[in-house]
Amino acid sequence: MIADVAGYLDQAPEVRARFTKLKERPVILDVRDLGKTFTAPGRPPTVALDRISFRLHRRELACVIGPSGCGKSTLARLVAGLEEPSGGEMLLDGKPIHGPGADRGMVFQSYTLFPWLTVLRNVMFGLEVSGTSSSAEAIGEAKMWLELVGLSKFASAYPHQLSGGMKQRVAIARALANRPRMLLMDEPFGALDAQTRCQMQSYLLQIWKQVDITILFITHDLDEAVYLADRILILDAHPGRLREVMEVPVPRPRTPDQFLEPTFIAARRHLEELIHPRAAQLADKLPPFHMAIAGDEVE
Amino acid sequence: MRGAWSRPLAGLSPRASAGLWAASFIVPLLIWCALSYLPFVWHPMVRVTDPGDVAWMTPGALVERPEFMTENAEVAARQGRPAVGVPANPVFLPAPHDVVRALVTGFTTPPARPEEPWLHQSLWHSIKVIFWGFLISSLIGVPLGILCGAIPAMGRLTEPFIEFFRYLPAPAFGALAVAVMGIEDAPKVAIIFIGTFFQQVLVIANTTRRIDPALLEAAETLGASRRVLITRVVVPGVITDIYTDMRVLLGWAWTYLIVAELIGVSSGITYFINQQAKYRAYERVFASIFLIGVIGLVTDIVLASLGRQLFPWLRTARRGWFSALVAALRGRGGPAADAAGEPDVAAPEGIARA
Repeated sequence: MIADVAGYLDQAPEVRARFTKLKERPVILDVRDLGKTFTAPGRPPTVALDRISFRLHRRELACVIGPSGCGKSTLARLVAGLEEPSGGEMLLDGKPIHGPGADRGMVFQSYTLFPWLTVLRNVMFGLEVSGTSSSAEAIGEAKMWLELVGLSKFASAYPHQLSGGMKQRVAIARALANRPRMLLMDEPFGALDAQTRCQMQSYLLQIWKQVDITILFITHDLDEAVYLADRILILDAHPGRLREVMEVPVPRPRTPDQFLEPTFIAARRHLEELIHPRAAQLADKLPPFHMAIAGDEVE
Repeated sequence: MRGAWSRPLAGLSPRASAGLWAASFIVPLLIWCALSYLPFVWHPMVRVTDPGDVAWMTPGALVERPEFMTENAEVAARQGRPAVGVPANPVFLPAPHDVVRALVTGFTTPPARPEEPWLHQSLWHSIKVIFWGFLISSLIGVPLGILCGAIPAMGRLTEPFIEFFRYLPAPAFGALAVAVMGIEDAPKVAIIFIGTFFQQVLVIANTTRRIDPALLEAAETLGASRRVLITRVVVPGVITDIYTDMRVLLGWAWTYLIVAELIGVSSGITYFINQQAKYRAYERVFASIFLIGVIGLVTDIVLASLGRQLFPWLRTARRGWFSALVAALRGRGGPAADAAGEPDVAAPEGIARA
């Protein structure tokens, strides 16, 4: 089926070289046999994640994709420490993860800026609660991060005065200001309109290029995954298992023009085949339903 | 667009909003005026101007209309001179102008007996009792409510008992409070405390529970400890709603005031009202009751305005009167927070897309 376009496994030499170098970098996140089972009284336990293992290398950008209900978000929340795993272990720089911490920043799908703080104060929040830097240093630091996401002008605005995309950029700056070892992004652009989302993806790549940060990016958008990721972790649903780890053959630097390149299309098609069949089957199961509608003859 | 106002959740122009605000006061006032000044509306009594041949009537006396008619019929049957009178309202419904006059003279008229307090003394006494009762209640109730709302274990430990206790009517503790605290102001403050505190804890705990848990999670991933979560996320996150709750609770405290002032040595505005009622000076009774309403309304308007100033993230506009006042009080140099929070750029208004 995918013979007519370049195979997603065919990597150009420079892409292969990049992956070789990537794998030589130190491991930041090491996830081993991670499992999560949700139990509620009176209900059968649901296995959200089943023995997931993978490693992220320094400055890698990995996307997690899968059908809805596959536990993508749970994975991010486990790594963030917001949920306790039922099994397995997670190591950050070789040290086990216990509970949430400033070494793992997180950007959520819902807007989580503190409405009572100005944009600048939001970015300063992590610096202030850690208490490592003086107030003046924190202001300087926060301004630098705001500059990086291009929102210096809005330092004294309140979150409700910003558009959705701007809020998420501030959220990224706020997470990065803590200088975390890695950044977890749980469908951060999911609530944005298509154009803004596209813009935000480019922003993110720009930011990532300038900062030493490892990113685990959860998404359900195939294009987004291929556009952003070095590697894509593809999850199965019920139970959530790691089905495949895909090395994205699209060379960097990425630009929106690449959406139409054969390697991009091949990678995307492969993802679709892994994820889609289930959804297609589901649609087939809908009962036939006929209603006399004016204009029926169009079909 | 005719009838647009009746659409659910329809917006109101500032003018319409102000007009309706005024109308909500003017309409009841007009009804009262109609009842008082239009002789053909209600007026179940007759004020006798000339008793005629009715032996027991005196000029100025208030007689019920049916009785007045019967008497006149009897007099007419005896070929006597009928009594003459004008329609009047019962003594307990004074006309607006009487109440307004009482309102003005209330502050200038010395009390009937030298040991009685003036109107303003009574009011001030009431305000002091309310203030202390509400303050003591809030000092304990607000932190406890926030803790109960934020920490489920804490809420579970305290709330069932408070839930039970709040059904015990505060006035029922009157005798007990007097026995323990004497007959002066202390038991009155205690009644207001009992009336306010238990509701306050529950209301504030419920408000606190409404905080967006995603904000707490975000703060945790930024390295916030549990203490920081409460002081820097939960408290600022719910403070605006708690402020609104407090405005409502203050209204309830006024309700308990009237009961509280009756226990022990009767005092304050309640004592004043009761005295005036004994003298059948109902226009003064009304004036005092309105005064309480006016104090409540003015307090609420001031608090609402102060709230908008205290919580700048709720409004889109520039610096308000409160920060200007604070800046003026601190001298010309801007406050320290300004240096960090509000640097060179003025808060942009209505920022569009990214």
